[in-house]
Order: sequence, then C-alpha cells, then structure tokens
Amino acid sequence: MTTDALRLRRGRARGASRVVRGRRVRPGTIARFLFIALFTLFVLAPFYWVAVTSIKPSDDLLASPPIWFPKHPTAIHYATSLNHMRGWLGLKNSVIIASFVTILSVLIGSAAAYSMARFRTGGKHLAFWVLSQRFLPPIAVVIPVFLMFRTLSLVDSRLGLILLYTVFALPFTIWMMYAYFRQMPPDLEEAALVDGCSRWQALWKVAWPLAAPGIVSAGAFAFIFSWTEFLFALVLTSTKAVTLPVIVAGTAVEFQGNLYGEASALTMVSLVPAVLLGILVQRHIVRGLTLGAVQG
Amino acid sequence: MAAHADTYGRRRLRAASSLLDAHIRWVLVAPAVLLILFMTIYPLGYSMWVNFVNYDFAIPGHRWVALDNFKTVWDDPIARHALWVTLGLSAAAVAVELVLGFLLALAMLRAFVGRRMLMVLFVVPLFVSPVIVGTFFSLILTRPFGPTNYLLGKVLGHTVNIDFTNDHPWYYVSIVLADAWQWTPFMFVILLAGLASISDQLYEAAEIDGASPRQSFFFVTLPLLTPIVLLAVAFRLVDSLKFFDVIYVLTRGGPGTSTYTLSYYLYEQGFQLFHLGMGTAGSWMFMVVISVIAFWLVRRLLKPVDAVSA
Repeated sequence: MTTDALRLRRGRARGASRVVRGRRVRPGTIARFLFIALFTLFVLAPFYWVAVTSIKPSDDLLASPPIWFPKHPTAIHYATSLNHMRGWLGLKNSVIIASFVTILSVLIGSAAAYSMARFRTGGKHLAFWVLSQRFLPPIAVVIPVFLMFRTLSLVDSRLGLILLYTVFALPFTIWMMYAYFRQMPPDLEEAALVDGCSRWQALWKVAWPLAAPGIVSAGAFAFIFSWTEFLFALVLTSTKAVTLPVIVAGTAVEFQGNLYGEASALTMVSLVPAVLLGILVQRHIVRGLTLGAVQG
Repeated sequence: MAAHADTYGRRRLRAASSLLDAHIRWVLVAPAVLLILFMTIYPLGYSMWVNFVNYDFAIPGHRWVALDNFKTVWDDPIARHALWVTLGLSAAAVAVELVLGFLLALAMLRAFVGRRMLMVLFVVPLFVSPVIVGTFFSLILTRPFGPTNYLLGKVLGHTVNIDFTNDHPWYYVSIVLADAWQWTPFMFVILLAGLASISDQLYEAAEIDGASPRQSFFFVTLPLLTPIVLLAVAFRLVDSLKFFDVIYVLTRGGPGTSTYTLSYYLYEQGFQLFHLGMGTAGSWMFMVVISVIAFWLVRRLLKPVDAVSA
C-alpha cells in the first residue's frame, strides 16, 4: 500500500519533470525528430516516384532535370500495361489464387491449430515440424516441386500454385491460430458440450466465431503472402497462370524498350491491394511477423 | 416403412458423427499434415534421388553419377563467390536494418503528435512484394531514368554520374538499400514492442539507485532487449539468406556474376541452364546451411511465449 503510493508519487514527479524538460528544445530532441523525418522521406520516396512516373506522359519520362509532377497527367500507361502487357491476366490470376489460398489456409490451418491447442495433438513434435516449414528456403524446394508438377501436369496451372502457396502459408496460419486458441478459455466450449453439443458443434458454433478476429488477420496475412510471392510463380508459371509480380518483373527487368511508365503503372496496380489490407491488420503485425513469439 | 428407413439413416448418421467426434483431433489436423507432407516430403524425397543422377533436360536418361553433382557445385568458383556474396549482403543488410530499426524504435518510443500515422506508414514496406521493392529501386537508381544522380549532384554541388547497378561497389549498396527499405520496419516494430514492454519501474529503480540515463540504457534497456534482438536478427538472417527477388529485378545477378546470391545461382543452374541435378544438389547444401540457424530459431520460438522475460 505504502509502496504503491510511493511509486505513484514518484511516477508523477517523473512525468512532471519530463514536461518541464520538454519546454526547452534539447539537441537530443532535434536529432530524434530529424531522424524520424529523414526515415519518413526514405519510406515515401519510392512510392512518390513510382506513382508520379505512372501518370507522366512519355515525353516527360527522361527529362532532365526530372519532372517532379507532370503538367498533363495521363492514364495511358495503365491502359497499355493492363491491355497489352497481360496486366489483366496477371491481375485475374493473382486475385483467384490469393483468394483460394486465403480460404484454404484459414480453414485447414485453424482446424489443425484448434486440435493442437485443445487436444495437444502431436505434442511438441508436430508443432516443431509445422513451424520448421516456415524456414524452408523456397529455392531448395522449387526444383523438386517443378519436377513433381511436371509429372502431375500442374505446371502453369492455378491449382498448382494454390496448393503450393497454401502449404507455405499454413505454418504461419496454424501458428497464429494456435496462439489464439490457446489464449481463449475453453470454458464456453465445455459449457456447450455439457448442453449437448457435439465436439464439431462446439468448434463450429462456439470456438470458431469467438476466434473470428484471429481468423481475419491470419487470412489477411495469407492473402498478402500469396499476392506478393515471386520465385514459385516465376518458375512454375509461363503463360496461363502468371501472377502479377511475374508480369511486373517482366516489364521492370532492365527496362527493355524503356517501359518505365508501364512498369510503374503495373507496380501501382500490384501494390495497392496488399498495402491496403496490410494497413487493416497492422495492429497484429508484431505477432504476425514473429509467429507469436513477441506480443505487440 | 419410411419412418423405419428414417430412423435407420439417422442412427447411421449419429454413429458416423460420434465416430468423427471420437477422432476429431486427428480429423482436424489431417488435412494440414497431409497437404504439407504431399508438397514437401515427396519432392524432397524425390530430389534425394535427383541428387545422385545426371538430371539434365538437354541429355536424355538419368545416369547415376554418385557424388558428382555435389562436387561440381562445391568446386564451382561462381558458387563459392555466390556464397560469400550471400553472407556479405545478409550481414550488411541485417546490420543496417538493426541499427536503423533500433534508432527508429528509440525515437518513436514516446508519444508525439502524428505518431500513430507514422507508425502505420512505417510498416507499409512490409506488405510490398520484394519484386516491387526491386522495381522501386530500379526506377529510382537506374540511369538515365532515376533521379538519384541528379539529386546527389544538387546536394554535393558537382555532377554525379554513378551507374548504381553496374559500378563496383555501388551494386552492393543498391541491394542493401533496397533490402533495408523493406525490412528496417521489421526490426523497428519488434524492437519497439520490446522497448515498450520494459517496465517503467525498472527505470525508476535505476534512477533511485543513482543511475544516469546512459547507465540505465546500458544496464537496463540493453540486457532486457538482448533476447528480442537475437530473435529478430535470427529471423532476418534466415530470410535474407534467401535473397532473390530484389536481385532478379535490380541487377539480374550482374554485372557478370558479381551479385549472384545462392538462390540466384541455383535458379540459374536449374531453370536457365537446366542442370537440375546440380541445382538440386546445391539446394540441399544450401538447406543444410539455413537449417542450422532455423533449428535454433524454431527451438527458441517453441519456448514459453513471453519473449522479453525469457
């Protein structure tokens, strides 16, 4: 009691001195905000440059000094890249693939996570095995997967990519949902069981809805992963199932024919969905990035 | 009759559902486990065989060559160079990200106007495809299109004409810069979470004991932050050793083979030259290197969660 009061008073004193200190501008404060400002510029610069390039008329592209904002913005690069450079195809494939991966990995992943969290299925070994998949280097599996896809004629098919991406999203989804289910008290499900629900019903009608926030963020991360993945798509697709990143890379590599405008336009198209979704789930990002090891 | 069939059907349904219920734990994990097995164990097993044969699209048949594939990769000077490039780039990138991320976390720790908005902005690079990061920096740095040379010229007061993707050592700088743009936020958010979780009481106790701000930084902040720093660094190392996308767009491994990383080298061997036997053997060697760090990391992640107090 007395120590609590003491702590409280000391805390207040500390806070107060901070305010007083804040009045004079100290060199530390200047350095602090200068650093923040510089970093903000660093983060924004590429976005700005690419956004501006995507709406510059072709004549302005190579102007020197560079034109920081075009007098006559144009949408021509968007039209050309989407209509003539397989932009629509890539967009369609990316949307289909990422959506299916999201649904599949959330369904399969949260089921497995539930079982591992509630029944300790597989114990430590299963958890260890699932988690270690996260660190498997894609280049190490892509050659054998390519050979396998050739025998199953899954090369250049959306199904092939969907299955592969789901597998690579699963460790992540399982691990995130595992942490989520473990935090959820089992009381409600037990009450449902007492009331005559089956185990399935307890999962479907009680645990699943309660875990909705976790499911949404795990799904969003799965979507972003499959939306942005490149190496597998590059190797395993060619004409029918190409995804947006592969097409962007195709226009950007060495800029054959100076396709700066088109490359920028495609970049913007590919950028926006993942970034918007990312901003929605950014609260969960610390836990997401570290597979639950650090609470944000 | 109909009623009888109905109860019969229902009884079977109930029997089936109670069977499901009894084995629900296995039914729930089965899809995930089977899918992962199908996509990883089978290809890896198959590649075990490919390791030891001559698997080349240009040459028919698969002659048994024992350890030749491994030997060819091991003796290939380009592979060795790629190993050093990968290690060097990873170390440089992770170091830059750690320093910048830590400074940023310190700067952003206390509240100020606009902090929330900046927090959102700073994590955005994490949601950008690495290919796009490559495109970004390609557009900013490449001559004659990118504005970097012009801006540097303005700042330094004389004409600058650097070819950022072809001049030594600028191609390394460009790659590290692009990687740092994307992954500094990773270090930042994790370290910020770590810093925020250190209790104020510890600082107060240090203050009472007469510690200067510098002392409390070195004797309170750093020791408590070490486990989380190790975790973040291990995460980044495992991922950065896989370096591929940015290089594919920004330098294409060039000039020559100067910026070949292990992933890029294996991609070239497997899918440009179609030496699949060699590529597979190289992949296995690469995997062994990665799994050393990954193993440690996974063990660490499995420990009881709360990372800061661990």
